[in-house]
Amino acid sequence: MARLLVQLKLRLLLNALHSSRAAKVSFIISTIFAVLLAVGTFLALASYRGKSTSVDLTAVIFTVFAFGWLIAPIMVFGVDSTLDPSTLALYPLRTRKLITGLLAASATGAWPLANVIGLLGVTVGLASGALGLIVAVIAVGLEVLFCIALSRFVTTSLASLLRSRRGRDLAAFMIIPLFALYEFFTQVVPKAAAEGKITAASFTGFDSWMRWLPPGLAAHAIQDASDGRPGLAFARLGALAAVIVVFGWLWIRSLSRALVTADTTTQAARIRGAKLPLAGLGLRGAVAARFWLYQRRDPTSLVYWALVAVITAAVSASSIIGHNRHPTVILASAVFGAAFVGIFHANSAGLTGPPFFLEATALSRSRDLRAYFSGQNLALCVIGAPLVIAVCFGLAAAAGRPGFGIEAAPIVLAGLGAALGLSNLFSAVLPYPMAKRAGTPMLVAAQGYGAYRIGSVMGTLAGTAVAATPVIIGVVQTATDSDAIRIGVMWPCAAVYGFALALAGVRLAAVAAAGKMPELCQVAVRSAMT
Amino acid sequence: MNNESAPGIPSATGLPRYQPATGGLAVAVRGLWKKFGDKEAVADLDLEIAAGSLAGLVGPNGAGKTTSLSMMTGLLRPDGGQVLVNGLDVWADPPAAKAIMGVVPAEVRLFERLSGEELLEYSGRLRGLPAAEARSRAAQLLNVLDLTEDANRLVADYSTGMRKKAALGCALIHNPSMLFLDEPLEGVDPVSADVIRRLLTRFVASGSTVLFSSHVMELVEQVCDHVSIIDKGKIVVSGTTDQVRGGKTLQRAFIDLVGPRAHDEEVLSWLGSSSS
Repeated sequence: MARLLVQLKLRLLLNALHSSRAAKVSFIISTIFAVLLAVGTFLALASYRGKSTSVDLTAVIFTVFAFGWLIAPIMVFGVDSTLDPSTLALYPLRTRKLITGLLAASATGAWPLANVIGLLGVTVGLASGALGLIVAVIAVGLEVLFCIALSRFVTTSLASLLRSRRGRDLAAFMIIPLFALYEFFTQVVPKAAAEGKITAASFTGFDSWMRWLPPGLAAHAIQDASDGRPGLAFARLGALAAVIVVFGWLWIRSLSRALVTADTTTQAARIRGAKLPLAGLGLRGAVAARFWLYQRRDPTSLVYWALVAVITAAVSASSIIGHNRHPTVILASAVFGAAFVGIFHANSAGLTGPPFFLEATALSRSRDLRAYFSGQNLALCVIGAPLVIAVCFGLAAAAGRPGFGIEAAPIVLAGLGAALGLSNLFSAVLPYPMAKRAGTPMLVAAQGYGAYRIGSVMGTLAGTAVAATPVIIGVVQTATDSDAIRIGVMWPCAAVYGFALALAGVRLAAVAAAGKMPELCQVAVRSAMT
Repeated sequence: MNNESAPGIPSATGLPRYQPATGGLAVAVRGLWKKFGDKEAVADLDLEIAAGSLAGLVGPNGAGKTTSLSMMTGLLRPDGGQVLVNGLDVWADPPAAKAIMGVVPAEVRLFERLSGEELLEYSGRLRGLPAAEARSRAAQLLNVLDLTEDANRLVADYSTGMRKKAALGCALIHNPSMLFLDEPLEGVDPVSADVIRRLLTRFVASGSTVLFSSHVMELVEQVCDHVSIIDKGKIVVSGTTDQVRGGKTLQRAFIDLVGPRAHDEEVLSWLGSSSS
């Protein structure tokens, strides 16, 4: 069974490699990252040799790996068929045999191998002496085994949930903290480390609580063995092995249950007051209401809004902390935040997907499409303007210069008008089918349409920046004026300017879309939303 | 109706041609043509559907049913030909033609994050109905379609049958005179199918017209008063159900016309034996 499932895993990997050019590129990139992870982790762990905090740092890295094993399968559920017990439920397999097979399949592939190689950096960084080396190798093996058992137990337990709508929604939201963490580690940490705010000593004391977690047990076992305490080292390894056995037992129970449990139909949520709002605004109101509800209920839309906030913050984050602060960059945050509201919506038919047919069967005239685009903009503006302005004010407060929030707000208003107008225009003239890629809730351009995506992203970004320039100049010119003038004059002027830009975009987009509704409909139908 | 020869002259299949009922044509398709790359999906298709009829368009998979219906409803631009719905040219005046049509596509993909009630109301308001009227009609349709209890649930949580019924509600809310349905009962349970069938019969009885595609012959035989068989992008035969059947079951007539796909069954000699 183990051999069969390992072969299945390898076959799935090979098939993915041969299925399409995008899959091949994705596979190669994934392998490169796995190699980088292996080399990077090995070097990082090896570099701790001789440091007083080496065991703390090792425990932190072991814990991060366990956390990664916990999170990653939830996000990529559906990609790896061996993760879903329901795919094997029809076969006459005994649970224990199946467990062995699934364990072997889990350990197969570039990423598990990268884990083992990377973690073996402890043989250089933490272990010393023959006993230390032996214990280090055993500890790494047990750490990886623990990661697999933990990951498989959680995935199997959540299998029926992850097949449901709510489960997929839950998985979608996980990208937000991961994206924020990525931005934190690429923007904030390097600067803090360069200024000496984060050093190896910062991790001192981490092991006071982490040493009792399974990854901490592995790290401390190596240190105990290296310090000549073999009894304690093996006791720790024994405790870790016991934890693995417990998780293995829980996994067996969970798998036994999953194999004979039908897919749970989602506990259907009921909507309170299920009437569309904005009844008095005609077609524009209907479209605005639909978009408004989608921004609240659709996890992909919520993720886009969270990413707008993270991007707005990330543009300035590294410039408003530390000794050399440049709060003027907050104005760039305002432009980027506004632009990304447009960028994330600059392909209306593709983003709506097959349900767009309902709108396509009803809308044809330029007048209807003006209402359609303006309704969409209304909903996006109601969320986008306060969100980006609030983040800019937050950044200004963090920088200790609240005045920059007042200066950023008119740029957001003008930029948002431009970005929404451009997104309408790109929706009409450069539509392309979207696809959902496993592991991310965000929609991407379907294969062969990458250039369309780049075109609309760069076009919206550049167009927004150019359109916002007069307001940026105005803001800089009035920087020394009183807040009353800056708020009382600049804000309304920028709002009117932004409204005019959005209106121009709506009108041009409506004319362009009126002649190509069948083509827009075909783009929507070809979009794969699940 | 097949337009390859003059009315009254038997078609190439030997079956008599269907004469449109009085009251005119609800759908008149002439020389409809669509190519995808080198493949002719629809090849010079002619079809006439009399007003007030419940017509079926049947054919094997890949025959061009969905492509034809998409072009008839203004959702796919044809490479050539003309489509008239109640005398309105779908491709010359799309807004006017779309206003009198309702469409249910084969793969029903609706706005999943709206509730059933919100979805129908949205559909009505898209069609220009005042909000109050759209809400009222939505409630009535949900009742008739047996969806009232689930009106406040998200469409994402609906079963296939419920989605088909919701899509039918969306297509009917503006009271169209012509309804196009692509595989309306595929994957639908018998109870939901009966609800849809009764609603369609009632709709046609009021003088409206329905054209639906299917490859379930028994269903078409039971429900439709007119049938057109499409194969390789062309209408092979068209007429009343009895005319097309020609004394046989529709299934038999269909296979005779379209031709059975023969396979060498010798290779499955092991199948059915008790040994593995």
